[in-house]
Amino acid sequence: MSDLQFRSALSHRRDEDLPMDLCVSLDEVSDRAMIDLRGSLDDPKFVAAATAALGVALPAQPRSSSVKGDITVLWMSVDQWLVTTPRGSEQALLSKLVKRLGNTFSFACDVSDARTIIRVSGGDARSVLMKGTSVDLQSPVVKPGWVRRLLFAEVAAACQFVHSDPDTFDVYVFRSYADYVWEWLLAVARKGARVQLYGKQEPPLV
Amino acid sequence: MLMITCPVCGAEGDETDFHCGGQAHISRPASTDPHNVSDDAQRDYLYIRNNPKGLHREMWMCARGCGKWFHAERDTVTLEFKSYYGITESAPPSSSPNPAASKTTKKKSAGR
Amino acid sequence: MSGQPYRLPANVGSGTTGRILDRSRRIAFSFDGKSLSGHPGDTVASALFANGIRLVGRSFKYHRPRGVIGSGADEPNALISVGESGRHEPNQRATQVELYDGLVSKSQNNWPNLKFDIGQINSKFSRLIPAGFYYKTFMWPQSAWMFYEHFIRNAAGLGTAASEPDPDTYEHMHATCDVLVVGGGVAGLAAAQSAAAAGARVMVVDECARLGGLADSSSGLIESSPQTEWVQSTVSTLAAAENVHLMTRTIAAGHYHHNWCLLLERVTDHDPSLAIQGAPRHRLWKVRANQIVMATGALERPLTFANNDRPGVLLASAARIYVNRYGVSPGRRGVVFTNNDDAYQTALDLTRAGVPLARVVDVRTDPRGELVEEARAAGIEVVTGMAVTNVDTVAAGAKIQSVKVAPYKAGSRIGGREERIECDFVAVSGGWNPAVHLYCHTSGKVKFDEDLQSFKPDRSFDQITPVGAANGTYDLDGLISEASNTGAAVAKKAVGSKVKRSKSDRPLASSPKAGKLEPVWFVPATGALNEGNKHFVDFQNDVTAADLELAAREGYRSVEHIKRYTTLGMATDQGKTSNINALGVLTGALQSAIPQIGTTTFRPPYTPISFGAIAGTNAGNRFLVVRRTPPYEWHCENRADFEPIGQWRRPYCYPKPGDSRHDAINREILSVRNEVGLLDASTLGKIELKGPDAAKLLDRVYTNTFSTLKVGKGRYGLMLNEEGFLMDDGVTVRLADDHFLMHTTSGGADRIAGWLEEWLQTEWSDLKVYVTPVTEQWAQFAIAGPNARNVLENLDGDIDFSADSFEFMSMKVGRLTGYPVRAFRISFSGELSYEIATPSNFGHSLWLALLEAGENHGIQAYGTEALHVLRAEKGFIVVGDESDGTVTPLDLGLGWAVSKKKDDYIGKRSLERAYLAAPKRKQLVGLLTQDPQEVLPDGAYAVAELKDKPPMEMIGQVTSAYWSPTVGRSIAMALIKDGRNRLGDVVDFPLDNGKVVKATIVDPVFYDKEGAKQNV
Ligand SMILES: [Zn+2]
Repeated sequence: MSDLQFRSALSHRRDEDLPMDLCVSLDEVSDRAMIDLRGSLDDPKFVAAATAALGVALPAQPRSSSVKGDITVLWMSVDQWLVTTPRGSEQALLSKLVKRLGNTFSFACDVSDARTIIRVSGGDARSVLMKGTSVDLQSPVVKPGWVRRLLFAEVAAACQFVHSDPDTFDVYVFRSYADYVWEWLLAVARKGARVQLYGKQEPPLV
Repeated sequence: MLMITCPVCGAEGDETDFHCGGQAHISRPASTDPHNVSDDAQRDYLYIRNNPKGLHREMWMCARGCGKWFHAERDTVTLEFKSYYGITESAPPSSSPNPAASKTTKKKSAGR
Repeated sequence: MSGQPYRLPANVGSGTTGRILDRSRRIAFSFDGKSLSGHPGDTVASALFANGIRLVGRSFKYHRPRGVIGSGADEPNALISVGESGRHEPNQRATQVELYDGLVSKSQNNWPNLKFDIGQINSKFSRLIPAGFYYKTFMWPQSAWMFYEHFIRNAAGLGTAASEPDPDTYEHMHATCDVLVVGGGVAGLAAAQSAAAAGARVMVVDECARLGGLADSSSGLIESSPQTEWVQSTVSTLAAAENVHLMTRTIAAGHYHHNWCLLLERVTDHDPSLAIQGAPRHRLWKVRANQIVMATGALERPLTFANNDRPGVLLASAARIYVNRYGVSPGRRGVVFTNNDDAYQTALDLTRAGVPLARVVDVRTDPRGELVEEARAAGIEVVTGMAVTNVDTVAAGAKIQSVKVAPYKAGSRIGGREERIECDFVAVSGGWNPAVHLYCHTSGKVKFDEDLQSFKPDRSFDQITPVGAANGTYDLDGLISEASNTGAAVAKKAVGSKVKRSKSDRPLASSPKAGKLEPVWFVPATGALNEGNKHFVDFQNDVTAADLELAAREGYRSVEHIKRYTTLGMATDQGKTSNINALGVLTGALQSAIPQIGTTTFRPPYTPISFGAIAGTNAGNRFLVVRRTPPYEWHCENRADFEPIGQWRRPYCYPKPGDSRHDAINREILSVRNEVGLLDASTLGKIELKGPDAAKLLDRVYTNTFSTLKVGKGRYGLMLNEEGFLMDDGVTVRLADDHFLMHTTSGGADRIAGWLEEWLQTEWSDLKVYVTPVTEQWAQFAIAGPNARNVLENLDGDIDFSADSFEFMSMKVGRLTGYPVRAFRISFSGELSYEIATPSNFGHSLWLALLEAGENHGIQAYGTEALHVLRAEKGFIVVGDESDGTVTPLDLGLGWAVSKKKDDYIGKRSLERAYLAAPKRKQLVGLLTQDPQEVLPDGAYAVAELKDKPPMEMIGQVTSAYWSPTVGRSIAMALIKDGRNRLGDVVDFPLDNGKVVKATIVDPVFYDKEGAKQNV
């Protein structure tokens, strides 16, 4: 695909300087391809085929993910996963999946361009995102690998807590919403609008 | 803003995370015998709904979690969710019945 | 800049005055254009007092002069406008607006100015403006309403809106906590302390800039020290805790189901310079609390006596707060008027600060509480069994000169000798009402308490527990004990804490023992018939005791009706000072007790919240969620005129320099008809269905049959809802035996995917089909026109686009100039047409490649309006234009797409219902206007018989109407009763402007009826 012109959802923002006064860093992760995988965990043939093709077990626990090598599998529902893999490797992976899955009741579908990933990173990442979602990102269940579908800035999204130090979230949004969500994040992530929720604070006046 | 817990995936959320599908256990007459559905039966299926004060059985969907539909029993006075059960399960016998609804529940499987 | 003549020295007598003032700094501000000064710590109200300004506004209805009554959120009178141009905001309580350098404030509700107000004439005619005045007067004669309205809108109203856009930003924030403590006074802090100690995540919010509530202005000691010392140390401990979040300048505006709370944090109002650093002006918090502790305190109620609204009459608690906290005296010489012990604290504090006090007037005959004795011992003159009966004023009612005092006995007329006492302010206390507003927002019910003579919380379905004064517990030690125990108990409920507590875990407090309160609801004035004397109950809405009595005399019994009839307790005030007094007045008028009368409903917000806060981040270019298609930037660069289609922005047309919209649309249409056009159709809904039962599912959701479709072929389908009405349409293509690609309308994409899931999960859980929406995965473009094939053949690729190889209604997968594509031969214009889909990230580039390939073939991009005209010329329907949720496929003449063989599909049974199967329903037809230049407006009604004026029998309406450059005249589609049997008839369309358009009913296909153009 070398001579093909690839333009990610936020490519037009790439050359734009980010405002200096943001309290988190914002980035588009555009080098991940995605496969939507459907199947039943109650079907051992499906589970075995998927595991063999992906090289990693499907996360069965709601709101979790599993990683092996280049491949990450995000739990999306009890019978749905979002597999991410480096761009360029998706067709091979898809063929492998389709071959292994054979005639089991399942569906693997290339959705690499349907979404983009906005990476929000920094000590204030949780509180910045909590301006747009009612999900409690300060809960102890939000550990590395935690995944959740949610409404962010009134837009359907999925969110993965990638790692801490600094806190880093990947926000998956449908491609058409990317610019709106980016604009929204720029507005709420200004340093002057920082929110520190809980923890030691200056005592208010009495 | 009601707080709801999905019995399928355990996601907790509010009304923006879930979608209410209205009264549960309304069977679709055409699914049983498409050629013998009376006008009255079709009317009841489409339009006749309960508006109980007290226990109400509803369908809900975990829109921002697993995308699955489920059943819930909710008290319309206190707004408390009393129980949750699967979308293909029939109404639990334990709780006080919702007379009109249980009368129309014919199918064992899912009620739309 | 003037001095501050009413500012008290910092240290007088034994007490400290102006506890929170920074007297070392001066702040300049203005009120009604006058330059004034105050100190950091001041509110506008305290600074106005310091400057000797008592007249701060005019009342809503009678335009009476008004002054400050309270010291916080309960203030009904001192509503001012703050800020200039875009930052101008009306209706702010002067008692809550913190002073900052350069603050500009204005009084409201006066014209031409505060001192000389023309509306004051309303006062003179006040007998003509009784309760229900609006309902009675302005209803008749109806024709006069326009005149009255003009008068009312100018003379009444509360302030004016800003005329410029608001330059500030706003945002929302979500939070979850185990325990939300509302109110940061002594009770709230005690509850927070024990809840935090039990390990709960605790949020504490207080509307003031400072925590501590009335700790600096109420009697009693904690751990043998002044209450503020305990407050100080507790706040320090809580601030240092990891599990506590303290918020000031934040109101709990509303409490909603399942303990969802709206909080408004005023971030920059006290210091607008913070906004420059990016801080939002207001932040609206949406908090989900497992448990709520309501420590909202109590609100003091005034007493109802003649002219009790004169500037200088204020609440007793406010009087001492101004002295203790702000170091200002409410006047030169005061009278305290009370029915309870608490006001004696005011007498003591004022005396201590050196403010001359003429008298304490107590209606009780024998008050014996500890504070009463203390006041007497301090040499304060106390008269008992007496009441203030009237207020004498100068300066047109704006300044008090003296009060009249006479012996008082509840329920009787004033008798005995009347004494005149010179003073310029009156501090009044009628007792305290628990602030139950938040408790009542959802399910909380209140009950009447005889001791308090007020309502207090009774029961609630929600996890909200009142403590302290909000619960009617006024005794300091009892209050702390109640709050502390509650904090621990609710924390345990929320987090299951096992931390053991002993009695010593809470601070011990002591306060003077109080005597009993005597209810006083109305103090009659002396003189015949109380003439000219108004007894105000609701200051903000100008409701008097006489208004309430009149409403009762006129037959109103329910307090909710009386509220609406008199406007009592409405608007921003929500009856904070007025509610109980009004009920007290009504006990006489309705001859029943307060518990029987009941109380009105308190509604959120507790105090008003800004529109900006409600909008939050969704302002300016983030006002609406906007979806962009892959070639969006190309559209922008090429002057696309966008139109919103749901959340999408789609090019409506592409005007060239000098083009009108009309020119552009006509050019685009003709380019498709004569050469070739390119349309961005990426918004089209795309859903993949896979599984052994995929065909079976399609047969059930479409009116026609898909199980017979061959792989690689597509079919147009109609989707109905269960009521039998058209819901969506589109072409579905079979990709493999068990694999289909469904196209939906742009607006229907998400809804239809959800619809399929719902049926699969709830009704047909036996069907094995997976549904995966792929709308966003694919950019999709239509290449339509006689040259379409030439353009595609111009590009390198492995797809044979020839007529023989690529039949109408089929699809191929391959590569086009290197890009992976799905190609479809479908047409929505009647021309030779293909749709090419490629993964979205290649969409922009493929779009450019197609334009380049078409350059020599006259290719032009066309927008949605050209698309609509092209399809209308061919008589193709658009769901949402030709259908409106009450239209069946048969109405639209689409019976050919409705299977008669299938046993069942969604909507089938309903189509057989009598109403839908009836003849002479409205049917889709074409229209040709008699004047070919005349384009009918969308939605124009056809009438059975034209008359001079309505009503006329309506027989249908225009669903789409356009200028067609292809046929060179106007065309329209319409739903007309029995239309298909009326071809050739002329029908009348009377328009709004009186014009009547005549049009002939014709077949809805206006161009290329035989379909030759796409069959090439
Ligand atoms: Zn769920």
